[in-house]
Amino acid sequence: MLLGNGMRVGLGATAALALGTCLATGALADETSNATLFGNMTAVSQDMLNRAGQDANNFLMTHGDYTQKRYFPNRQINTMNVRHLHPAWIFQTEVKETLETAPIIVNGVMYVTTAFDHVYALDARTGAEIWHYKQPLGPITVYCCGPNNRGVAVDGGMVYLATLDAKLVALDAKTGKVAWQSDIADPELGYSETMAPTAVDGKILIGTNGGEYGIRGFVKAFDAKTGKLLWTFNTIPENTVGEWATKDATGQDLHRDIAAEKAALAKLGDPFKKLGGGVWQNPSVDLANRRIYFVVGNPSPDLDGAPRPGDNLYTDSLVSVDLDTGKYVCHFQYIPHDVWDLDAVSATVLVDAKDQNGALVPAVLHAGKTGFVYVNDRKDCHLIRFSEAMVPQENMYALPTASPGTRMLPGANGGVEWSAMAVDPTLNLTYALNLHQPMHYSVKMADYPGGDKLWLGGAFTVIPEEEQWGNVTAVDYNTGKIRWQVKTPQPMIGGILATAGGLVFTGESNGFFKAYDSATGAELWRFQAGAGVNAPPSGYTVEGKEFIVVGAGGNAQVDSKRGNNIIAFTLD
Amino acid sequence: MPTWLFAIFALMAFIVPAHAEDIAEKATLCASCHGENGVPIDQTIPVIWGQNAGYLYVELRDFKRGARTDPIMSQMATGLSREDMMALAEYFSKKPWPNLGQKPADAATAERAQVIANSAQCSQCHLAGFLGASLVPRVSDQNHDYLLATLRAIRSGERGNNNWMTELMKAYSDQDMAALAAYLAGL
Ligand code: HEC
Ligand code: HEC
Repeated sequence: MLLGNGMRVGLGATAALALGTCLATGALADETSNATLFGNMTAVSQDMLNRAGQDANNFLMTHGDYTQKRYFPNRQINTMNVRHLHPAWIFQTEVKETLETAPIIVNGVMYVTTAFDHVYALDARTGAEIWHYKQPLGPITVYCCGPNNRGVAVDGGMVYLATLDAKLVALDAKTGKVAWQSDIADPELGYSETMAPTAVDGKILIGTNGGEYGIRGFVKAFDAKTGKLLWTFNTIPENTVGEWATKDATGQDLHRDIAAEKAALAKLGDPFKKLGGGVWQNPSVDLANRRIYFVVGNPSPDLDGAPRPGDNLYTDSLVSVDLDTGKYVCHFQYIPHDVWDLDAVSATVLVDAKDQNGALVPAVLHAGKTGFVYVNDRKDCHLIRFSEAMVPQENMYALPTASPGTRMLPGANGGVEWSAMAVDPTLNLTYALNLHQPMHYSVKMADYPGGDKLWLGGAFTVIPEEEQWGNVTAVDYNTGKIRWQVKTPQPMIGGILATAGGLVFTGESNGFFKAYDSATGAELWRFQAGAGVNAPPSGYTVEGKEFIVVGAGGNAQVDSKRGNNIIAFTLD
Repeated sequence: MPTWLFAIFALMAFIVPAHAEDIAEKATLCASCHGENGVPIDQTIPVIWGQNAGYLYVELRDFKRGARTDPIMSQMATGLSREDMMALAEYFSKKPWPNLGQKPADAATAERAQVIANSAQCSQCHLAGFLGASLVPRVSDQNHDYLLATLRAIRSGERGNNNWMTELMKAYSDQDMAALAAYLAGL
């Protein structure tokens, strides 16, 4: 076990003490169901959250820490011994549907979620259930891409869940009882939640889905104690026109008919009210500058640009706002006036990266559905560089046509979907999961059908005769070059974890969960989970023993085999 | 028009406008077509027992709004308030899905349907086993003739209350529709 800073020493000592007590009373690990052993230590302090990235015991946030590197700093499980990794326990949830949860671990207690908004608290040593909460969902929930949930946030003595019917729920971490519940937005207008919230300085930050239903997107901050709304940042400003950009961030032509758009604007006015702009993943928090960074999803309707002239700000963009006030700081649009749903969904990651002059600057990374990793400067959001393409791009930005449509690559799931990247800062590498899914894009004008019906303005369909596959790609963010790449038999969706043991862990739709050498991409270990492993892994340590945990429950979006397993792995 | 329809229209005039009727009583009217025990009285009528509540509500609302039309159901829905529709939806969603005894599709048909399902990503919305949730209908084990008719109506736009499904279905031929209906009915 790593002992680096004061906090970890402290926790290690307490854990050792607790272990002592446990042995003395003869209580065996898997007998504890009410978690008295660890139950008194479930509170999470802001200090713990601030230092989550160096915490080798806990996994306190969806993406590891506020920078969202998904880098777990324990090296007990490493390149030398990972071949001995085996399941410590498997917990079966009640729900056998699409599983995207990122397990959160606080002092030996694990919190996982399932499809349809169940939350479980488990003893992280044994997988024994401590409590189980089911959100009573209203009759109308509107979501495009599966009844997913990507996990909880923790702060103080609470666990926070955002639900398919667009509510924010605070649960008592010890009991799973509801402390408060707030409406985030109206589900009948197409708002829903699948992302995990982010807890920071007494605030709970949350975005929204709904870019497929003509919503007006936002990021909101709620008071962690009371559930009161503190601020709202509309991801769609009242003036969305922008600068009539004809090229994307990488200089490729978007084939826009600017004259026609200008005429439409004169006739229709600014389309901001139903322009979409969901936020699918947690923001990164830059504590030093008190700013958050996140990416905004596609405009509504996805495939038909006619009713929404202009650049459609801030869709398909990186955005930064002030953590305390929610006020705009800066933005950068990857694809102005997107008509392919090639939007920005994968979580942002904060790193220090080299700028054009070779100086290290605070930067923010994002992996696009385009198949590029973008590196932007945190100061004013400008683009520093973009990576080599991680997947084939063919006919890119060809305009959708009437059914059966135009063939284009990447397909509308990417490149990189919502799957968050992991970063190994010692190697300057970021790891991204890609899909290769050739699709037909078709456009069909359609009026706004009301918030509870999909409003795509066309369709994208996978071309059945063509091969699909995926890859894991390591990109050097200081150069944009691909360091290594491993092809997978199916498109990749889920998540990845890097560890100080020189490893990256990620799962596949065919049920394999694998460990790669993070420097070279060499496969060092694999395990067949029996259902699609399409969720981000987490790492944690209890009583001096390191674990890697992942959900294996399949995925609705890529239709991988469903299951209901939470699997924790360890060495003997 | 079959004679039972006349009888039912007569009954409707009597029951539907009576707002304070309790839901179980309203539901007896529905049973005259959708079935006493959840098995519809003929193959062209969909199963509504055990269907997802959100979907049942939205369809009734769409019949009322005219976004979806059907000579019977459009009439049926005119007198229903939002509360009625929510309550009926809740009531029927709690009933068990009936056993229609439909046979599984043969291997070739099933394979054709699965290729389509994969390409159109049906499971992204209809979920594992085509059971749906909330606003997305269960379509597995639905009445075969109804499925085929409604898939075609969706494709032609005659059923126009979901233009996404219309756009999606346009890519598929009559034989594809037949394969889908046979496959889904037999699940
Ligand atoms: C006279 C026969 C009849 C009666 C009575 C009737 N229905 Fe229907 N219902 C139908 C038919 C036929 C359809 C299929 C319409 C179509 O093809 O679009 C249908 C469709 C529906 C649908 C759409 C189901 C789906 O899968 O899309 C719902 C919901 C529904 N009915 C609810 C009700 C309710 C609730 C009642 C009672 C208030 C009721 N129906 C009474 C004949 C009837
Ligand atoms: C993006 C989500 C989505 C996808 C993908 C999708 N559906 Fe649907 N489907 C729906 C929704 C929502 C409805 C309800 C439409 C409405 O509002 O009336 C529906 C309705 C249907 C119905 C009518 C059910 C009834 O009871 O009347 C059938 C049949 C159906 N879908 C089959 C399919 C098949 C087969 C596929 C794949 C080839 C598919 N769907 C793909 C969302 C989807």
